[in-house]
Amino acid sequence: MMRIPRNCMLLLLATAFTVGADGSAYSAQSAPQIREADLSTIAFFVVFAVLTLLISFWAARRATSSSEYLTAGSSISSGQNGLAIAGDYMSAGAFLGLSGAIYASGLDGMFLAASYLASWPIVLFLVAEPLRRLGKYSFADVLTHKLRERPIRVLAGASTLVIVSFYLVAQMVGAGELISLLFGIGYGPAVIMVGLLMIVFSTLGGMRAATWVQIIKAVLMIGGSAMIATLVMIRFGFNVSDLFKTATSNHPGGNKIMDIRGFAQDAIATLSLGVGILFGTAGLPHILMRFFTVSDERAARVSVFYATCLIGSFFAMLFVIGYGSIALLRGDATYANASGALFGGNNLAPIHLARAVGGSILAGFISAVAFATILAVVSGLLIAGASSAANDLVVGLSGRQLDERMRLRISRIAAMALGVLGILLGLACEGQNVAYLLALATAIAASANFPLLLLAIYWDGLTTRGAVVGGTVGLVSSVVLTAMGPTIWSKVLGLGPAIFPYDSPALFTIPLTLLVCWLVSIAKAEPEEDWRLAQPAVAQYLE
Amino acid sequence: MRKTAEVVSSRLTAKRLGALRFRLAIAMIVSYLAMMAFVIHSARQATQTAVVTSDFSPAMIALASCMAFSIILTGLFVLMRHGD
Repeated sequence: MMRIPRNCMLLLLATAFTVGADGSAYSAQSAPQIREADLSTIAFFVVFAVLTLLISFWAARRATSSSEYLTAGSSISSGQNGLAIAGDYMSAGAFLGLSGAIYASGLDGMFLAASYLASWPIVLFLVAEPLRRLGKYSFADVLTHKLRERPIRVLAGASTLVIVSFYLVAQMVGAGELISLLFGIGYGPAVIMVGLLMIVFSTLGGMRAATWVQIIKAVLMIGGSAMIATLVMIRFGFNVSDLFKTATSNHPGGNKIMDIRGFAQDAIATLSLGVGILFGTAGLPHILMRFFTVSDERAARVSVFYATCLIGSFFAMLFVIGYGSIALLRGDATYANASGALFGGNNLAPIHLARAVGGSILAGFISAVAFATILAVVSGLLIAGASSAANDLVVGLSGRQLDERMRLRISRIAAMALGVLGILLGLACEGQNVAYLLALATAIAASANFPLLLLAIYWDGLTTRGAVVGGTVGLVSSVVLTAMGPTIWSKVLGLGPAIFPYDSPALFTIPLTLLVCWLVSIAKAEPEEDWRLAQPAVAQYLE
Repeated sequence: MRKTAEVVSSRLTAKRLGALRFRLAIAMIVSYLAMMAFVIHSARQATQTAVVTSDFSPAMIALASCMAFSIILTGLFVLMRHGD
């Protein structure tokens, strides 16, 4: 039986947790061949940086209220929101990470793509519409419709800020490595440059600016990917068989790249990873925030449909790009060494492929799109964190409602503080493998946020005590089990064999959270005055 | 009177959709798990008998089917009458 090298499995798992994130999958093995930034790359980069700043100044003039700043006044159309949601998924992590995973080991990368796409119907069927109807600034709004406000907001604020911080650090490290490699500058200046742009952008423009940059980036990403995929297919006369023949003959795995290998080794680990992805999307704060930017439930529904179609098309193009990279780059000394490893790391496969099929202008364009991607996703994260800090943490801890001006001021300060924290942690974590932080974030989203949202929307027996105890158990168990898993326990901390055998604990922690919520809720009913279930908006979603 | 009827009708639609949401979510989860089971099974089979193919492999077709199913389910749900 063929054994998959452990390094290969780790690469795939790292990729799994970086889709929807940015650049963190990137492996910065700098090489002189790609150290020199092309003039076209720099030109496209300057154009995008100026464009994003102009958008943020335009949006800043409108961001005079907290609803405008945090949710773009709920005035984003379903088409625009669909593009923005798709943009969140067409990240540098997905683009570079999945193409790199296909280049390294074939079809395994597409297994992750299918898992992420399958998570969107779950979001649509279970949480998108209730979120739009019941929420205003954060998913905690939905929970507090029927549960006591203060403890729930503190719990939701804590889990949101933990998720956002983990994502932020991982992305800043990935962004620093990616930008320093693409533009030939040092890691420190790269992190500071991305961080400052991100702070200016988020603090001034808010959600409207983040949404528009995400839309522009999504269009550019789809256009760029379509261009590379079409040029690859032109090389093979639009004959898929020829593409596969060349790829299988170039790759040392031969025909094995046509099948799932790495993920077939351990069915429970794969199942746990899949379950985490399937339900994690419905608990990620920066994704859930997108449903507050549209006007009504219909727009929320339609935007998910647009997003699913766009993400599906994007993944289909990545499939061609991945196999095209194997067919055209492997064995070419311009891009890969004798063992087949690409200069700059396998995650540069689409950029090298763009250069191979479209020349340096296309490669420069794709590099600059990758940069815009980082900026857009990180800005969205800052807005989600700022919203939760102002509406959940401050309200939960102080116990008083904020007026418009105060909420806007706290949101902006929180966005700036999170941005500075991201820069400092990004600088401190130079050279560290921080992909596990994304594993933690996904596990927390799937194990703490999603079960609470599900029960709060669909089960009228959930009590505040049940939600707080269950949510805390979900948060702590997901963090502890991920830390005791092979990646953190053995690889990062070097503490010997892992105590918990799987990297993703979602298969165990999601049922655990649901069980604890149920047990605590039925063990002691809430006093009647604590319930505010009489609201028809909530009752509509109850069976 | 008319308003009451509208409210009752709207709540009935909501209840029907609530049940449907769960059924569709379960359909999606089952199809995803079926895809996962198939690709794992086919990969383990393929290690014993080497696959010789230059076209789409069964695993590719399974992945593509799951992805297409996600889009189709989403589209059908959006096209349904929601009463809002």
